[in-house]
Amino acid sequence: MTRTAAIRGAPVLLGAGLLGAGCVAWAAAPLVNSGWAGFALFLAILGVAAGALRLVLARVPTPEETYLLSAPARFWLKFLDVLRLVPWEEGALVAILWLEVLHPAPPWHTAVLGAALISYLLVTHLAESGASPEALRPQARVLAIGAGLLALGAGAGMIPAVGPGAGSALLRLVAAGALIAAAGLVLPYVAAPAPPTAPGPPGSPGSWSSGRGTPGGR
Amino acid sequence: MSSSTAPNERLLRVPGPELALHWRSSRHARRLLTLSVAGVFIALLARRPEFAGVAAPALLLLAGGGSGRTQRRPARISVRVRPSATRAFEGELVALDVRAEGHGDSHVRWTLHPGPDIDPGDLTAADGPQARFTFTPERWGRRQIGTMDVVLRDRWRLAEGHLTVTLPKLDCYPAPADQRTTVVLRRLPNRLGEHPARTSGEGIEFFGVREYVPGDRQRSINWPASTRRGRLQVNTFAAERSQDVVLLADATSDVGVPGSSALDLALRGAAAAARAYLEGRDRVGVITYQWGGVSWLGPGLGRRQLYRIIDSMLASDSGYARGASFRRLPRAALPPGALVVVFSPLLDQRFVETLRDMRERGFTLLVVDVLNDEPPTRWRREDRMAKRIWRMEQEAIRFSLRELGVPVVHWDGVQSLDLPLAAHTRRPLAARR
Repeated sequence: MTRTAAIRGAPVLLGAGLLGAGCVAWAAAPLVNSGWAGFALFLAILGVAAGALRLVLARVPTPEETYLLSAPARFWLKFLDVLRLVPWEEGALVAILWLEVLHPAPPWHTAVLGAALISYLLVTHLAESGASPEALRPQARVLAIGAGLLALGAGAGMIPAVGPGAGSALLRLVAAGALIAAAGLVLPYVAAPAPPTAPGPPGSPGSWSSGRGTPGGR
Repeated sequence: MSSSTAPNERLLRVPGPELALHWRSSRHARRLLTLSVAGVFIALLARRPEFAGVAAPALLLLAGGGSGRTQRRPARISVRVRPSATRAFEGELVALDVRAEGHGDSHVRWTLHPGPDIDPGDLTAADGPQARFTFTPERWGRRQIGTMDVVLRDRWRLAEGHLTVTLPKLDCYPAPADQRTTVVLRRLPNRLGEHPARTSGEGIEFFGVREYVPGDRQRSINWPASTRRGRLQVNTFAAERSQDVVLLADATSDVGVPGSSALDLALRGAAAAARAYLEGRDRVGVITYQWGGVSWLGPGLGRRQLYRIIDSMLASDSGYARGASFRRLPRAALPPGALVVVFSPLLDQRFVETLRDMRERGFTLLVVDVLNDEPPTRWRREDRMAKRIWRMEQEAIRFSLRELGVPVVHWDGVQSLDLPLAAHTRRPLAARR
């Protein structure tokens, strides 16, 4: 990766790392000692840290010929392979949710965590694909509905149970599920494909329409 | 040979070959799936509806991608790749234009993976159906530019179509070193050129004064000399001749750090010499000596000859090519009376014997020693002694050539070639018999 590209992608990388760290801190505080909480915290930190490291080292080139490499170079390549193959973020997600379950947190706490997790996933995707935030514009309306459902889920969690039995909790779950299903039904109308547009605005990376001949006006 | 900065749009309008895409779910989709499944599972297990809310945005995004399956995912796209030049010198900037067609409304991302000895510019990735990358070849030779990864992403960024395009090869010429002065023989063949010869003729350089004879031009009368001697005297001028120059590149040994090895320096020096002598209207040819034989290009004139010479040297890079025997080279390759400029590390004893043989046949040789490296040694006494012996052998080789009347100058590849050649460019080079 060239220096210019690295500098350009640094804010997104930093954002992904900070969001991941924030999610872990939000789900872990205050520390509990039950239900393998320590192990879950370890997994969450490992997943977020390794995921951030994977993003940082994503564009480090690997040599095609690996036959006559020194032991440190071979170890480095093996490390890069493992770092790129393992789904660190998925592991971190599960561990963070596990930490959240272990806490007797109020529903709004979980809703904030949900919003942060979705943001973490979106920013991580932007960082690994090198795309601009504009790429997420077609999903904005769906994300808005998702945020509404997140709030409704938190609200459903805060409604006091009608009775002490398991049926009451199940009823609330069914209500939440029905809400999600309803949102899914209106989805085709909300997420209609946008009309075809020009390849990109003048001067955008990779575009010739700027008349300067090189991407980014170089 | 320099690359144009304007995109080669006319060529890119021609549709390129259609290539198959491999579609698969993206990492983003897998992460969303993990979040939604984990959220729903925990909501059911812990009976906490807020976790269903956590899963909801991810589920909606996945469902949106599912409902968006009507979006066309092309199985094949047309990719056109055009470098701005197929030949370039070391360190020269070359542009690479790429264009995709038939991608529908998918988002296209290009990522350049440069090949060995290719230095990419600032931009190694670009978005959009067409893009321009720049790169610089760092070392001479037939270079693979690299590969281009093309990734198509659907609107929801849940599926990715991958494609790798192998980029074309580039002929990279050695960057000629800096050389402005040339070595000129004392005896020049009777052919019009730009070097003042040691006979009178129709040049512009003053040669001498002689007595007027009928038929001399009036404008060449030297009036001060005529006044002094009492008879008409006329100025005479030196004839201008050209010479045949044969560059002899030794490709048998390639020692040193890649990029400044003996072979690198030999090729750069030979390219510089070819350019300098061709600019002086000399006929220049090249002989490349390597294991298994030699390849040659007869002396010629003009700028095109420079590229022919470099092409000839690069074509000899195969290492095991079988050419004509050195002793059986025709006169066209090695004309009698030619100046032979040799670029060699003088490590191959057979090559040194060949030089001695040429000298004994009457050729005027000038050797540019391009050896700038020594064998690695440890601090053992035997190793140090072996290194001393090796140095003495090298000095003996150079001494024996000098004794035969072959000047040997050392060039480090950094400074201008004019500096080591200065002692021989000031005055015409005489071939001792």
